[in-house]
Amino acid sequence: MGLPLSITGLTVRASDGRVLLSLPELELPAGALVGIQGPSGAGKSTLLYALAGLLDAQGMIRWGDEDILRLLPGKRTRFRAENIGMIFQDFLLFEELDAEANAGLAAMFRPRRERGAVRARAAGWLDFLGLGRQAKDRSVASFSGGERQRTSIARAMATNAPVLLADEPTASLDRAAADALIEDLIAAARGAGTTLVAVSHDPALIARMDRVLNIVDGRATDNRASAA
Amino acid sequence: MTVWDTLPALAQDIALTALLLVPALLVGALVLRGYAPWTLVWAILRRFRGASALFVLLIAISVCMGIGLLAQERGLRRGTAQAADKFDLVISAPGSELSVMMAAVFLQPSDMPLLDGATYAEISTHDNVSIAAPLAFGDSFGPSPVIGTTADFARYLADGQIEGRMWQDTHEALVGALVDLHIGDGFEPAHGHGDAAEHDAHEGADLTVVGRLAPTGTPWDRAILLPIEAVWGVHGLANGHAPERADQLGPPFDPAYFPGTPAVVVRSEALWANYALRSEFTRDRDTMAFFPGAVLSQLYRVLGDIRQIMSLMALVTQTLVAAAVLLGLFILSRLFHRHIALLRALGAPARFVLAVVWSFGAVLLSAGAILGLCIGIGAATLLARVVTAQTDILVTAPLGWTEIHFLAGFVSVTLVLSLLPAAIILRQPIVPALRA
Repeated sequence: MGLPLSITGLTVRASDGRVLLSLPELELPAGALVGIQGPSGAGKSTLLYALAGLLDAQGMIRWGDEDILRLLPGKRTRFRAENIGMIFQDFLLFEELDAEANAGLAAMFRPRRERGAVRARAAGWLDFLGLGRQAKDRSVASFSGGERQRTSIARAMATNAPVLLADEPTASLDRAAADALIEDLIAAARGAGTTLVAVSHDPALIARMDRVLNIVDGRATDNRASAA
Repeated sequence: MTVWDTLPALAQDIALTALLLVPALLVGALVLRGYAPWTLVWAILRRFRGASALFVLLIAISVCMGIGLLAQERGLRRGTAQAADKFDLVISAPGSELSVMMAAVFLQPSDMPLLDGATYAEISTHDNVSIAAPLAFGDSFGPSPVIGTTADFARYLADGQIEGRMWQDTHEALVGALVDLHIGDGFEPAHGHGDAAEHDAHEGADLTVVGRLAPTGTPWDRAILLPIEAVWGVHGLANGHAPERADQLGPPFDPAYFPGTPAVVVRSEALWANYALRSEFTRDRDTMAFFPGAVLSQLYRVLGDIRQIMSLMALVTQTLVAAAVLLGLFILSRLFHRHIALLRALGAPARFVLAVVWSFGAVLLSAGAILGLCIGIGAATLLARVVTAQTDILVTAPLGWTEIHFLAGFVSVTLVLSLLPAAIILRQPIVPALRA
């Protein structure tokens, strides 16, 4: 099951003090699918990284009961490991490894007792995403863009994270691959009850979100609900 | 006496190697405890195999030079010491001990005053002397010096191992193990050495090879040995014996017909007697007696000082190499900084990320060290062969514990210090790397 999100007075500044992102308030229920759109440089990815606890910011970002901005670095890292899965535009896979090793990456650093389960879930998600056959056959360097992004979805889902953050997940794919990936991503998030926050310029992905947030010049200017 | 002193040398060497490696092993155990990042390290190595291979090669070359030089220096020291092994005591006219040693042991003669027959007789008839071999230099055949001496000394030099037989007249010769003449071959010696040799000077002095000495690992392996009477004879000198005993070979020589010798190699059965003989024949105006081993020791002492300076320089160089290795590791890790950022974004603990970067460096360093060790042994062996071919001193440069300790120290210190670039990488901000 996903985590609810509660943001209050969030401000992210550059090192020179310039405001990169300002979000006075945002409430999301657990399991919500949220799209973030806006022009390039508006602060969309900044919001995503702030939600992952990768940026220092002012205000409050509460996932469930935990305000990640108040957590010490070590605890914040652990929170991320246990609760947040991430998907990147250019996949960020280890090219020389096969899909199973990439999807089960977290098994290398999670507590020993959890490693087997992480690997099993990684294999299961690869199967679900249609990569079961080639998961062990070859390195992901030989995969198509769609296959690679599916591998990274499996990596994000393998830890059973209740939150999934996706940064332009379809931007590197052609239309057909993007459409197929959107179906898989939505199905994976819905199936697991995961809270999904996706930054995207892709109208097809945005259209499938429960809610869309527009960001312009670092400010959330428009909220609208859309059909799930 | 400490426990350490009671250990055998081999145990001490092994223990010291282990001690030197302890810091690296401790760091490795602490960093890797509970993690097995080898799949990722392997993936990174394969991804950047060109840069990694180059880095390994650079480490290997630096290690190889250090090891090769240490092994070579020791090999040369051993080789020269072994070459002087058969020369317990040398007696000559007063002069430079080094010049006489170079002539008698290493067959690099220079102009030297001669000992007369009376002095030789006094040496050879001394109670404590078992062999007193006069030497006669000056001739050559091709690259081989032709040395006149006695049959006893030739036998002693080869430990009695002579293929064929000993000479029986002044037209017969023995050859060293490396001389390019076979038993039964005839030759005519030239007067002098090398380009300045006069090939017709001893025309008619036909000699036949009748025996070959077993290898000694000394310049004498390249020499041709004749009865000293033959050398004196071809130079138109008296042959050491009175006319009525003109056909005699070897001692005793008649002082009245003894043309002189630049050096006498003396052997005594008792060690103490060598010291007594040295004392007895060290006379200001007449004779000089010395142990070639002692002269070599003095030479090693001087070389030892130079070695210490070189060791210091090597230490400074290795420190610089270690610094370069660390900088190289840092630069190399920039190649995969996005993947490091990814691991951190996915919630990998700092120690796991440290383990990945450190293991990557450890693999490169270890591979470089092992490769350097192999190349170093190969290079030292090759260089030893070249030195042996040039000097005929048998130089072997096998791997010694000094090199192992040197390598263990270098690897250990560098592995410990490579935590630094790993820690610096860990402090890099994550988001810019993800966005790169």
